Formats: sequence, C-alpha cells, structure tokens
Amino acid sequence: MNANDSRQTESGTESKKPLISMKNVSLAYGNFRALTDVSVDFYQGELVGLVGDNGAGKTTLIRIISGIITPTAGEVYFDGQKVTKFHPKQAIDLGLECIQQSIGICDNLSVSRNYFLGREPVKRILGLPFLDKKKMRETSAKVVHDFGLRDTVDVEDEIALLSGGEKQTFKIARAVTFRNRVIIMDEPTNHLSVRERAHVNDLAVQLKEQGLLVIYITHDIFQIHRIADRIVIMENGRKVTDVPRAAMSAEALEGIIRDGGRMPAKKGAAA
Amino acid sequence: MRKLLKRPDVGVIFGCIFLFALFSIWNPRQWFDPSTISNISQYTAILGLLAIGQTFVILVREIDLSVGSVYGMVGITFAGLENSNVSVVVSFIVAMLFAVVIGLVNAIVVVRGKLSSMIVTLGGLFFYRGLIYVTTHGGVTGVPEAARSDWFAQLLGGHFLWAENGFLLLLLLGFICALLLYEMRFGNHLLSVGGDPDSAASQGIPVDRIKTIAFCLSSCFAGLSAIVTLANQPETSVSLGTGMELESIAAVVVGGTLLTGGKGTILGTILGAFFFTAVRAQMIALGAPPSWYVSFVGIALLVVVTINTILSKRLRSI
Repeated sequence: MNANDSRQTESGTESKKPLISMKNVSLAYGNFRALTDVSVDFYQGELVGLVGDNGAGKTTLIRIISGIITPTAGEVYFDGQKVTKFHPKQAIDLGLECIQQSIGICDNLSVSRNYFLGREPVKRILGLPFLDKKKMRETSAKVVHDFGLRDTVDVEDEIALLSGGEKQTFKIARAVTFRNRVIIMDEPTNHLSVRERAHVNDLAVQLKEQGLLVIYITHDIFQIHRIADRIVIMENGRKVTDVPRAAMSAEALEGIIRDGGRMPAKKGAAA
Repeated sequence: MRKLLKRPDVGVIFGCIFLFALFSIWNPRQWFDPSTISNISQYTAILGLLAIGQTFVILVREIDLSVGSVYGMVGITFAGLENSNVSVVVSFIVAMLFAVVIGLVNAIVVVRGKLSSMIVTLGGLFFYRGLIYVTTHGGVTGVPEAARSDWFAQLLGGHFLWAENGFLLLLLLGFICALLLYEMRFGNHLLSVGGDPDSAASQGIPVDRIKTIAFCLSSCFAGLSAIVTLANQPETSVSLGTGMELESIAAVVVGGTLLTGGKGTILGTILGAFFFTAVRAQMIALGAPPSWYVSFVGIALLVVVTINTILSKRLRSI
C-alpha cells in the first residue's frame, strides 16, 4: 500500500502521555443522563474499539470529542491542552476527523471536489484566486487509487457513483492524507460487503501503524476484537470495561455487553 | 457531447435553441425587429438578474420569496432619493446597502432562528410590500428625466450600440457569478452546503455564513434589477415587482437548478429568464391576452421540469 509513503509516519514515538484525555465527563439533557462520569484516555498509535449497545453513550462520547456538543461536567484534554471551547472547527484544526456512514461527502460534487472540500488549492490568475483544478484532479486521483479504488473511477465524476465501501475508503483516504492525528470511525463497515469490510478494517490497522489514533465504534465485538489494541465498553452512559485486547476473549467481552443490557432495570448499578 | 448532455441545464439550452429557431421561422419580421430585441433583452436582464440571486439561494436548499417585494422596495427607495435631488451614485449606494441589510435580516432569521426560509421570506414578501404602501401612501413617482440622463443611470439603463446596457450587465455579472460558482473556493463551498449541509460542516465549511452570503446576494441582485428597471423607464407604481419572486423561481427551475439544492448553473438561469421573456413577447405580438402568459408559465414549468427529470435519470447511466 503506497499510502504508507504518502505521509510522514510517527510510529515508534508513542508517548505515555495520552493524546485525548477525558476526565469525569458527564452530559445530561435535563433529567436524562447521556453520559455519567466517564474517564478515558486515548493514546497516539493506538486502535481502540469503542463498543456498546444502542444508547450506551458511544456516539455521545464521540460527539464531545468532535466538538459537536459541550459536556455538562468534566474536562477534556487534547495533547495535554484543556479544551475550553467545543466547536467542530476546532476539532478539525486539531487534526481530528470523524468518519461516519452517512456524513462526510456531498453526493452532488465530483470526487476531486469532495476530496479538497474546505481545503481547495488555488492558483492566481490576474491576482484572483481560482481553483487549481489540475492539481485537484491529479492529487485526488493518485490518492484514491493508492487507497485501492477501482482504476475506472474518474475523479471528475460525481462521487454518488461510488459504492458504499468505496465511499468509506475515500473518506479514510482523505482524512489520512490531510495529516490528521485522530480518526474516529463510527460504524464504518455497516452495509458493506464482506470484501469491502475487510478492506476498511485493513485500512484502520494501517492508520494505527502509521502512528494515528484510531477510535473504532462498532456493535460487532468479534470483528473489533481481531484488530483493536484495546476495547472500551460503554453501557448506559458509563464506561464499564477498558481492557487490552489480550486480557479478555471476544466471548467474555460479548458476555459483558449482553449482561449490561439488563442494567437499566437496576438503577445505577453499572458502575 | 457527453459533457453537454450531463449538464443540468441541457434542457433549457435545447429549449432556447428550439424557441429561437421557431420564432425566427414563424415570425421573422417581428422577431428580429429592433424594438422586439430591445424589449426582450431589457426584460431578460431584469428577470435574469433577479433569478441569478435566486439561484444562489436555491443552490443552498433555501428559497427567497421576498425578492419581488425587495425589488419594489429598493427600486422605490432609489426613485425616492432621486426625487429628493440626491446624486445618482449616492442613491444607488444607499439603495444597494438597504438591499444588503434586507438580505442579512432574512438570513439571520433563517439561520439563527432555524426557521424555514419559505416562511421567513414569505413574511418578507408581505412586510416589504406593506412598507412600500406605508412609506409612499400609495403614490410614487418614477426616476425623473434629469436623473435618468445622468452618466451612471445611463450606464445601467441606457444602451450601447444595439444592446440594452442592462442586458450587457446581466451577461457580465452572469459570467462573474459562473466563475465564482465553478472556478472558485466559494462556489465549491456553496455547492457543498446545498448538496449536504452536514457533510459540508464536517469538513469545516461555515454553513451558516455561506447561507447568509446567498441571501445577501439574492437581495442585492433584486435591488440591482430594480435600479436597472427604473433607470430605463419613466414611471413606476407601488405594485413594482409584484409576482416577480415566482417568475424568478420559475426561471431558475426551468434553467435546470434543482429545488433540492446543490446543482444548477448560472447560464441555465439566464436562459430560463430569456425563455419566459421571449415567449411572453411573442404571445403579446400574436395578440394573445396577456393573462395567458401566466398560464403558460405554469405549463412550461411542468413540461420543462418533467423533461429535465426524465433526462437526468436517463443520462446518469451514460
């Protein structure tokens, strides 16, 4: 995979300091507690599986990290710096990209226009900034093909023509080549074929090996257990398990999730 | 050829070629008469300018129903200042600033209030029309002869050789807007907001700011269109611009811009304006009652949109 060459890797420099650190984070909507006292650290060069049932708080956690919502209590540190203002733009500037199934590409635009969306290269003609379409075409074509898209994909075509797996691959390719440090994958393999799923999972592992922090959200404990370094299980807005992959089998982890499903009946027993 | 067929405005391009050929053969003496050309180019300019502004708003998945009243309001402000002996350039600047403010108000209510632009600008349609009645007490005077012969008014409302200046202005601004839309970053951001606002936001595109600019452009083009109208004609009335909002939307839609946003062209919009204007001129020339035109707009809209939909489905697979 040529993607390895196309960015400066920082592997081997994994420090003990967490890249993202959440301390006692809570989020309440009125009486409803979406997150309760969650503390979790994420390190550079790590692939973390974030697992849990629907409504467990996985997405809420990610939305806080992505700057979309502000927690009602607790602190978030990015690279040692306390995050004071939660805003999507700030998360993007810090080099964080969240890859979601339904969000991230505009179907009405071409592959190359999607690739450079928000970071379009320009060239000056008569002092006016015009899009550098040649650069957009050539760079995006090289990257998407390096990441394993069909050779028949024309970057001038509408991105709507790509398959689901190709769209996911495209989003990952874009996130990586713009030198992001954190890639959050929110259910990246839903609705994908077996082969596409394997391709996306391979990419997740490669990103980690290049020194990125990859947070991988899924329902599928068996799938994530194969590739993750660490598994974090959420249940009912709390973190219930946080173990290295080697420490527990997928079956044992699945048991935790299954038992956790009965937690809401017993008030606050999850912790 | 494949590229041409894939354009969203392919329907109106062929439609206008067909219309031009039809009228050239059917009624050449009337069609190529200098006064017909002058009328059609002037009205195409007026409707086209309004519709270009509307195109930006529709491209971001919103709609601006207030442009007809804004056209009236800004036009009457301009005429009122002229009648108070304010210089033409100053009146122009003041009237256009007023247009910017109206656009900002529309945008802030839609974006901040998270309200449907259809409701907000419908409110604007009534409010600014009412404001015209209140401020003028029902009586308005057009731009006086002296002001219309001023160099700046002539620049907007006069003619150059055979062409109306308003029409040349439409072509110039149309060209600039097309560059802005397809060759610059702003255009890519605007199209992305229209295509999928959440995805655009996820890539750091300031969605609200882009929408605000679109609404301001719409009001400015409406105001400019009104000034071009009044710089050219001696009289006006409180109903100036009534119904123009729907005509501008019809021109945009016939021009191939999708009401769902994200896809459209400036060329299509200008041709859409030409299409309706040319048909209206011909209907009047053939002695059809003017009210038929309104029915025609309705039918043409349905036919063209149906054809566009069928074409785009068929051509997807090419």
